[in-house]
Amino acid sequence: MDSATGDGGVPSSIASPIPSGENSVWADVTHLLKSACEDLREGELIHGENFDLFAAMSTLEIMDPKMDSGIVTKYYSIDEAIENGAAPVPLSFDRTVDIQCVIDVMDHLLACEATWHKGQSLAQTVFSCIYLLRPDLTSSHPLLHSYCRVIRATCKAAISTVSNARTHEEEDYFILSHGLPLHGDGDDKCLSILNAVEETVSRQLRACKSHSLKKRVPEDIEPLQTIPELEEGYCKAVLCRLRFRKHFYHLLTTMRRPQGRGLELAKKHVSSCLSELELMQKSAAFLRCEENGITKEDTPIETTASGCHPIGFDATLNSRICTSTPPRSIKTLSWVKATQYFKKLLEDLDIVCSNSLDQSLDEVLRFVVQFQKAQPDLVARSHLQVLLVEDGKLYGRDSMFQVISRAAALPQIPPNHEIQKHEYIVQLGQLIINLLKILCTNAAWQRRKLGKVLQDWRVIYMQLEMAFQKDIGQIAGIFTDQNLCKKVADHILMWVEEQTYWIAFRFLVLGFELELYSPAEYCMVYWYMYVVLIAQAEKAHLRMSAIHDTAKRKGKKKRDSLKDAVKDHQIHPAVLFLQCKICIAEGLAVMIAALRTEHMNLQIQSPFNREQERFMQHFDLLQKASIPDRVSYVSFKECTAYANISTLPMYNYFKDAQKLAKELKGNFSNDSDRMSELRKLEQVAEHNSVALNLISRLGNLDSSLKVSLEFNHHPYFATVVVKRS
Amino acid sequence: MDQASAQSLKVDESSKVTSPSSSSHVDQVKKLLFRRMLVGVSDGRFFMGLFHCLDKQGNIILQDAVEYRSTRRTSPSPMEQRGLGLILIPASCRTSCHVDCAIEEQMSLLSLQK
Repeated sequence: MDSATGDGGVPSSIASPIPSGENSVWADVTHLLKSACEDLREGELIHGENFDLFAAMSTLEIMDPKMDSGIVTKYYSIDEAIENGAAPVPLSFDRTVDIQCVIDVMDHLLACEATWHKGQSLAQTVFSCIYLLRPDLTSSHPLLHSYCRVIRATCKAAISTVSNARTHEEEDYFILSHGLPLHGDGDDKCLSILNAVEETVSRQLRACKSHSLKKRVPEDIEPLQTIPELEEGYCKAVLCRLRFRKHFYHLLTTMRRPQGRGLELAKKHVSSCLSELELMQKSAAFLRCEENGITKEDTPIETTASGCHPIGFDATLNSRICTSTPPRSIKTLSWVKATQYFKKLLEDLDIVCSNSLDQSLDEVLRFVVQFQKAQPDLVARSHLQVLLVEDGKLYGRDSMFQVISRAAALPQIPPNHEIQKHEYIVQLGQLIINLLKILCTNAAWQRRKLGKVLQDWRVIYMQLEMAFQKDIGQIAGIFTDQNLCKKVADHILMWVEEQTYWIAFRFLVLGFELELYSPAEYCMVYWYMYVVLIAQAEKAHLRMSAIHDTAKRKGKKKRDSLKDAVKDHQIHPAVLFLQCKICIAEGLAVMIAALRTEHMNLQIQSPFNREQERFMQHFDLLQKASIPDRVSYVSFKECTAYANISTLPMYNYFKDAQKLAKELKGNFSNDSDRMSELRKLEQVAEHNSVALNLISRLGNLDSSLKVSLEFNHHPYFATVVVKRS
Repeated sequence: MDQASAQSLKVDESSKVTSPSSSSHVDQVKKLLFRRMLVGVSDGRFFMGLFHCLDKQGNIILQDAVEYRSTRRTSPSPMEQRGLGLILIPASCRTSCHVDCAIEEQMSLLSLQK
């Protein structure tokens, strides 16, 4: 310090109301810093010992709109915004304008809600509405008040389901609601006030209809607004919006009834919601109409049906609430897109409601996979998961042991049998619960998790196998019958293995859905699918015949055994279904390999990694869990290295697949999902069979022949397209 | 380590044409490191934290920073505050900058302001 003196001056530290430390003052150092900066050389920093450049790079930058959630834009607080008239109640003293504005708020809220469901934070979407942030603000406006209440209650219900399902890890913004008034007083009774308002408006609608028919109008009904010609239109527009909210809230709550007891009722609410949604879409024409006395904006905004800017929204006011996330630039979905989103959501929920609640695990798994094909969003997926797994039981009803014993076709075991409490059986039950939960997540998350649990399934298999061998004395002690004991062990092990292969196959298939494979890798992918399917089919066949055996023994006394003898040699249709896929997968693998040998197409040419490395990248998790046993890159090479075009037609895999698909149709006539997949498989097989013939006849002669793969018939089995260039 | 670098800095600067007083500014700012600093920004908020770093452009990094904002534009009004951790305040949006110091020390700091 060169000069400790000075005139003392007036402390400039009172520049802010923030107190300085005890016996100290805030000294203005602006000029000092300025001079120091001038003296610093380019790139030089003033910092202490603990300075870390890396940490400094990741600081939160103030006033950067992408990092700083606290930037003050227009208002310092919600209260200030309200005082400045940002959210007036009523929205206008002209009652026609007021009703128009309320409808805009409703529409914009719908758009916000859809945006929230699509993965943005609640605070920045739905709760950008000032009316929602201050529950008491709207109390003098019954229509707006009832709507705000039901919105808050609906959000709360949706959050509860999603957080219950714990699928939100994948979309973790969904449930962040800290600091938002979601638990407003009386919101749980939102329906009574909503019903009252709905009743008033529907009476008014009836009144104005009878008025147009020159009937007597009851005196006591107050019109919604002041222009008689528009009354009917506004009544209708308001009614469908209120009714949509009512049924949607009902839907979300009835679906949550324990053990799926509300599904039937929920289905009715789905259809009511859909029809109200349609009326809402129709009302857009009226609301956009020029004659309703509102000056239209030059550039209509998209988030409302009318195209008018909604009053009372400011996303910046509470962006600080979600401190754990940086503010995101959010594009609110348009109103039209929002209605489309809700339509899709309702359709997906309808599928969930159509669950028969009496499915075996095998059927449940197929149901979930089929449900996922429509790529449902988080809310619908969460509802399915909450329905399937409740209190650690399937549908909140069947204990996991019941599920296992039905799936593995265990012989009759008395209830409360000791084996149910066996450590590994309990663990297996946990694995199934986990699997069901994973299958309800989005594709990317699902694949990652499935890859991980494969190891667990492998481990539990080995543990069970060892337990059944080593502790045979202990387990046999549980069973009085030695035969029964062996049978239980065999069935469980068989089923666990089959299930493991099922997971492995799902893991491989999801790679197609996520577009993780390049065409050059299809050969190894199809080959791997082929080996996994073979293993799965083998175990499935063993299981099916075991079930068949049990069933046969039961019914032997009554039935004619001659028929059974014929049946004995038949392979179960479910296994043949797998067989059909095996043929196609093998056919594709061999054909692509042959094309590669002939240098016609699909070469692996990458400067970065060799084929073997790619093989490991894709199948490492399967290899680690040795799924299937004794399969490696070497075996893949052995199987495909000698494939060439001249030997291709010797065995036409596709012909077989086509034949199988055709034959199987009779077996699945009442299973529309498998029927439609069979049709797709048949088409793929037919196309590829023709292509294969063409290639083998012309391939060596015609160098202009171009072969490519397309997915126009089946989501993961490619169709081979041959073209002359 | 820091002293060594500070010395090398001095050596460097004396070898250049910079005046000795300029390096004293830098020295003085160095003494402010780890002190409580209060920075006002252009939208009316204040940030208080430990002075952590300053660069040639005048950008400041504060450690364990707390954001203060009024709830209303018309002062005086109650303040809201929240913790932010390590923050960077760009020079472009900085409107004021104060350091917490004893009254005697303030004199010496003020004397630099011309």
